[in-house]
Amino acid sequence: MITMTTTTTTGTPVLEATNVTMRFGGLTAVRSVDFTVNSGEIVGLIGPNGAGKTTFFNCLTGLYVPTEGTVSYKGTVLPPKPHLVTKAGIARTFQNIRLFANMTVLENVLVGRHTRTKEGLWSALLRGPGFKKAERESEERAMELLEFVGLANKRDHLARNLPYGEQRKLEIARALASEPGLLLLDEPTAGMNPQETRATEELVFAIRDKGIAVLLIEHDMRFVFNLCDRVACLVQGEKLVEGTSDVVQSDERVVAAYLGTPFEGVPEDSALDEVEAAEAHSATSTTSVEVEGDQK
Amino acid sequence: MNTLPQQLANGLLLGSMYGLIAIGYTMVYGIVQLINFAHGEIFMTGAFGALTVYFYILPDGTPMAVAVPLMLIGGGIVAILIAVGAERFAYRPLRGAPRLAPLITAIGLSLALQEVVRNFYPGADRARAFPGLDATHDLGSITIKDADIFLIVSAVVCMAALAYFVRKSRTGRAMQATAQDPDTAQLMGIDTNRIIVIAFAIGGFFAAVAAVAYGLKYGNVDYRMGFLMGLKAFTAAVLGGIGNIYGAMLGGLVLGIAETLASAYIDEIPGMQQLGGQSWANVWAFCLLIIVLLVRPQGLLGERVADRA
Repeated sequence: MITMTTTTTTGTPVLEATNVTMRFGGLTAVRSVDFTVNSGEIVGLIGPNGAGKTTFFNCLTGLYVPTEGTVSYKGTVLPPKPHLVTKAGIARTFQNIRLFANMTVLENVLVGRHTRTKEGLWSALLRGPGFKKAERESEERAMELLEFVGLANKRDHLARNLPYGEQRKLEIARALASEPGLLLLDEPTAGMNPQETRATEELVFAIRDKGIAVLLIEHDMRFVFNLCDRVACLVQGEKLVEGTSDVVQSDERVVAAYLGTPFEGVPEDSALDEVEAAEAHSATSTTSVEVEGDQK
Repeated sequence: MNTLPQQLANGLLLGSMYGLIAIGYTMVYGIVQLINFAHGEIFMTGAFGALTVYFYILPDGTPMAVAVPLMLIGGGIVAILIAVGAERFAYRPLRGAPRLAPLITAIGLSLALQEVVRNFYPGADRARAFPGLDATHDLGSITIKDADIFLIVSAVVCMAALAYFVRKSRTGRAMQATAQDPDTAQLMGIDTNRIIVIAFAIGGFFAAVAAVAYGLKYGNVDYRMGFLMGLKAFTAAVLGGIGNIYGAMLGGLVLGIAETLASAYIDEIPGMQQLGGQSWANVWAFCLLIIVLLVRPQGLLGERVADRA
């Protein structure tokens, strides 16, 4: 039974994906997925590796143009250009950290503010008072965000010199800098230890409290079920189940999809833990941290 | 009389000209990983743009103090239009194509630009006279011309403005971001196509500044002037570490000074009497490139090229 209960319909739809299909040649990576995120919601997207989660994310951010179907943000269909999607109000982080490694922490966040700042060639070269003011405001906003994620004291460090967990935080700060209405997190806790995961959990709640809807891909099931108002499970490009944590957690097909075999009865914690561990392992092994000790 | 200060000054001047042109190679390479072999010809068209302003637009007898800024603007506009046009119509359609395709296109474009100028610009098939700034000044043991002063001042101003622009402005930051990771930069809301156009435009303008300086200094221009200057500037960019704007400046200066000193003094070494003089200057310049690439393949200021994901 597919239960489409949306128990915590907190507001109006922020993101609506209708009938999204993505084909690469003969391969259908995402097949007719309907999906909605409402304002004030935290929604999780789970599924085994290769289920099409990241492809779906890429369709949402304009990196891919869906073969069929439409994606709209707050009622307007999104343009197929990533930079316009960001401008419209969708920001994201990446499964493999993709910071600007040779820029400072502050500069990374300032790049994130690109769409929210205005300044032409001439004002920059001439350094008018307007330019200085805008620059100062931009820097203040960036510092607020760094304080929010707890990196304010590292503003002048190069991004590549940060420890892994802080790089993840910086990615979130950079995404928030574009003042989004919807934040997409692609495996925000991959490779994190339990303390860092818990801190990320609090961070996501804090982001929601700022009025930003969150959609996240994650393999850490405890994290997902603690956090999300609603969870959808994607298997082989199709949406298998969508509903509250309890509904998805107890759905046999979800468990079957993860373990690859039919499963009897209610999944036990230990079984889920195993899956989780395996997934976490595979996730970390594919997560290459782009820190290279190549200081000349 | 000790000629060393004069030779160093000559080298510095030549080097700043190389550096100005090298900026165009290095910025474009840093952002789209394309070696724009037509850049030397963009330099050449900049010179002809400035020449057009002087001979065909300004009335005869315009004082040089008025003419030079206008020539700079005219040359700059022509070079920017050609650089941006090349990006839009020759390189952009090939973005994502195998790297050899845009490279060959660049070589083709370079030949096409040479031939267009040779065939359609009056008198361009021979050296055409360019107004010079030949008044000289003696500064102790160094003698420099007005053209040299123009060159050094404009090089310093351009480079300082560029360094400031790239480090401090919003567009400059977007440029750095695009150079480091274009896909992510797009997702941060940066219109990367616009950034690429800006990089080509800045490179074109700097080449035009160098071209005006070249004309004022040497007193003539021709349709082939871009070939050797482009090759030298490319060498300077590689020498300094391609992709790095400070590297382009440094590479230009090192190359200019090394070349000048080698052609002035190498014949004083016993057994190398035949190897001195201007005719061997290019040999020493490219020898220097080979040596640097053997010792430091990434160039003087370049970082090790990390594999891109």
